[in-house]
Amino acid sequence: MSRIGVFICHCGENISRTVDVERVAAQVGKLPGVAFSTDYKYMCSDPGQNLLKKAIQEQKLSHIVVAACSPRMHERTFRKAVEAAGLNPFLCEMANIREHCSWVHEDKEEATAKAIEIVGMMVERVKKNRVLPTITVPVTKRSLVIGGGIAGIQAALDIADCGHEVILVEREPSIGGHMAQLSETFPTLDCSQCIMTPKMVDVANHPKITLYTWSEVELVEGYIGNFQVTIRRKARSVDEDKCTGCGVCMEKCPIKKIPNKFDCNLGMRPAIYVPFPQAVPNTPVIDRANCTKFKTGKCGLCQKVCGPGAIDYEQEDTLVVEPVGAIVVATGFDLYTIDEKPKGSAIKGYGEFGHGKIPDVIDGMTFERLASASGPTGGKILRPSDGKEPKQIVFIQCIGSRAREKGISYCSKVCCMYTAKHTMLYHHKVHDGQAYVFFMDARTPGKNYDEFWRRSIEEEEAVYIRGMVSRLYQKGDKIVVMGSDIAVGVQVEIEADMVVLATAVQPQKGADSLAQKLGISYDKYNFYSEAHAKLRPVECATAGIYLAGACQGPKDIPDAVSQASAAAAKVMTLFAKDKLEREPIVARVKEGGCVGCFACKKVCAYGAVEEKEIRDRQGNLIKVVAYVNPGVCGGCGTCQATCPSKSVELDGYTDEQIVAMIEAL
Amino acid sequence: MPTKNSLDYAYYPGCSLHASAGEYDLSTRKLFKALGIGLTEVPDWFCCGATPAHNVDELLSLSLCAKNLELAEQVEGDLAVACAACFSRLKFTQHTLEENSTKRKQVETAIDAPVKLDGKVKHLLEILARDLGLERLAASVKKPLSGLKVACYYGCLLTRPPDVPNLDCIEAPTIMEDVLGAVGAETVAWSHRMECCGANFTLSRPGVVIQLTNAILESAKAAGADCVMVGCPLCHGNLDIRQKEIEGVYKTTYNMPVFYLTQLVGLAAGLSADQLGLDALIVNPLPLLKEKHLL
Repeated sequence: MSRIGVFICHCGENISRTVDVERVAAQVGKLPGVAFSTDYKYMCSDPGQNLLKKAIQEQKLSHIVVAACSPRMHERTFRKAVEAAGLNPFLCEMANIREHCSWVHEDKEEATAKAIEIVGMMVERVKKNRVLPTITVPVTKRSLVIGGGIAGIQAALDIADCGHEVILVEREPSIGGHMAQLSETFPTLDCSQCIMTPKMVDVANHPKITLYTWSEVELVEGYIGNFQVTIRRKARSVDEDKCTGCGVCMEKCPIKKIPNKFDCNLGMRPAIYVPFPQAVPNTPVIDRANCTKFKTGKCGLCQKVCGPGAIDYEQEDTLVVEPVGAIVVATGFDLYTIDEKPKGSAIKGYGEFGHGKIPDVIDGMTFERLASASGPTGGKILRPSDGKEPKQIVFIQCIGSRAREKGISYCSKVCCMYTAKHTMLYHHKVHDGQAYVFFMDARTPGKNYDEFWRRSIEEEEAVYIRGMVSRLYQKGDKIVVMGSDIAVGVQVEIEADMVVLATAVQPQKGADSLAQKLGISYDKYNFYSEAHAKLRPVECATAGIYLAGACQGPKDIPDAVSQASAAAAKVMTLFAKDKLEREPIVARVKEGGCVGCFACKKVCAYGAVEEKEIRDRQGNLIKVVAYVNPGVCGGCGTCQATCPSKSVELDGYTDEQIVAMIEAL
Repeated sequence: MPTKNSLDYAYYPGCSLHASAGEYDLSTRKLFKALGIGLTEVPDWFCCGATPAHNVDELLSLSLCAKNLELAEQVEGDLAVACAACFSRLKFTQHTLEENSTKRKQVETAIDAPVKLDGKVKHLLEILARDLGLERLAASVKKPLSGLKVACYYGCLLTRPPDVPNLDCIEAPTIMEDVLGAVGAETVAWSHRMECCGANFTLSRPGVVIQLTNAILESAKAAGADCVMVGCPLCHGNLDIRQKEIEGVYKTTYNMPVFYLTQLVGLAAGLSADQLGLDALIVNPLPLLKEKHLL
């Protein structure tokens, strides 16, 4: 016979204002099986928990129901208290009489009656609860970091400095990401390369970091503490061990005119290339689509001139499998390209701004390359069309961002600051030039950010015009920019030499397919979703996977670096223990009833269902049944609902428990 | 895009086509006949309210269009509309009454009939480019318009506002260029194809219209166009009838014929200058067409 204890919480006045808690305690005390019932002002407080523990010992209670707030709030608290008093924590259930009752009702009589019913249901349910042992799984103390931008680099260095091995995977031939492309950084105007490249070198030299560039994550299997990651190392056509990075191959390559993506297609590169001189690793890649050797079989010049014999045309993609315990996703962002509307995208085009049609309408990243000392113009601001210095330059903010009717409602966060920076860089380089900025709002929250923006106006002579541009068009060699100045209430027309569009920050292309491989969720824009917007901002809902940088939402460098270090700290917390404890809310197969149809396997979102052979003592196969790997099971219960023979049960949520609750009503 | 097999339409010419834009009406009827597309004029149709009514009285403008839509129900087929202003007002009425049940009830009281919004309203361009289809259109060509450089002028009403006419992309439409491409003409890329011509301000504020229209003609000429093509009688009036006056004010010469879309497509379909009403155009197009060996 169970001896159930029921504990009714007042939650200050949150519950007791609308529910007569004393009456609830008295009523449920009469239910069969209930040995003890009481109420208390703050059950979650230290004295409240002590009251619970004391009652378990004194009254020899076997099962506990705490009637209070949502289990999402305090289930863990009370189960811990129950465990401390010597009971299995899964013999404790919570009845939610706050969110489900007192907060949504006004009539005290009715709310009290409902609270009695809710508690009564949980009393019947808890009678059917079983003792569940905590599941422990081993932890592989190695981690994978996906993406070698500033966020990925920071996370990898932090984890590696703590003594744990890191596998850093980067899709491009070099690490560095977008930060390596930037000229100078706000709000201090220090050179991006100067602060970035030493960190890139640290990564390359770190004994605990294995760097896979020109590589992509192909497959992710397993679960927290025990992932198996398959990485595709794309054929580089250059042997990384032999190559010394001398660069003779790049000098001799006869194909020289391939637009360099790193320079936003302004500069040219050969078919065998490193994206930029400070690349890490400093090992070239052959762009097979543009290489004469791969296209026609002739040439082979790079192989002839390579002293160490590193060029290998026969090289093929290889797959590497790495066991890791934790994954940091740091795949970063890309800029919205407005000259083409991506197929199947809800995001509508921006034909009125002529990007992609008018050569001197460029985006913010292209301006960064123009302003960069290592860029295609050596840091001179020159027009892509005719190489002339623009004397009138117009910056337009919020292109794509904050435009619900165009399909993106969010603020890209970094554009106000980088546009202010652009006006300064322009003013430093073109002394007789004039910069105009069309803006909706200036959003500059951040340390020394607003001061920086004010400086662009007050000291660097940028003219800020509050209002949006309706359209622009080419007229001779000028670009006519038509917009409104809503502060003055007039239409403005500027004949500009160059226009820079602050296009929206979007997740990297393919972010959704990577999320599907990882089993993590993402929003309608393909930004990855954190487990809790405020309290778990660097963790995914999928255990063991963490987020860093702009793959989660638009971020500037300080934010990306902070989040990367936070993600690294979470990984280190996980690695602090040798074994990981998991909640035993997992599905269990009743092998006697299972007919091996594997309907459960088809619906399992976690890939937790395996096939298990049942053999007799002589080793003859009797049947094949489903087996749920408790380490992988996410406890969603889909298999339980699907099983046609009712042979799968989710521990803690069995049919028996649910039916008991319904019958109690 | 799948094309339509049954090509019979109710036809709403609108007032302009019975007056200043008679050649648009004439060329529409001749062209559609030549292409095997049936047009049955909506019996007893009347003014849609055009650009003035909705500025004066919203209920009046919605009711005028709702009544015309109701009349159009008597004829089989989607409603074919030639004038961009009528097209805009009819589509706008459908959109507004679908979204707003209060206005819908007011309109139903005013016209003393239930509002019917199921019928499709289509501009002639949609019928040519989508229902007939570009392939069938191309197959009907007897005299390709090769060598003719055309500036396709959309004006404001054909694609705007967003989500209402749904004719094409609101900022970068291509439907006119698609149609002309199918009949062999060359279209130019130019900056002012979606600017406003000033519409009916031509009577009350001619100075504004002359300024706006000059910018359009200047841009078309700079892009190397021989002529302009329109799908709206108001645009046509401003670009064609006012052209001499603009040339005087700005001391320049455009001599830029302004065609209705049905006139150019009709020319390619082998129709004669008389059948297309080319003599009704103020800027004489005949020298240009002769020079290009199209007449």
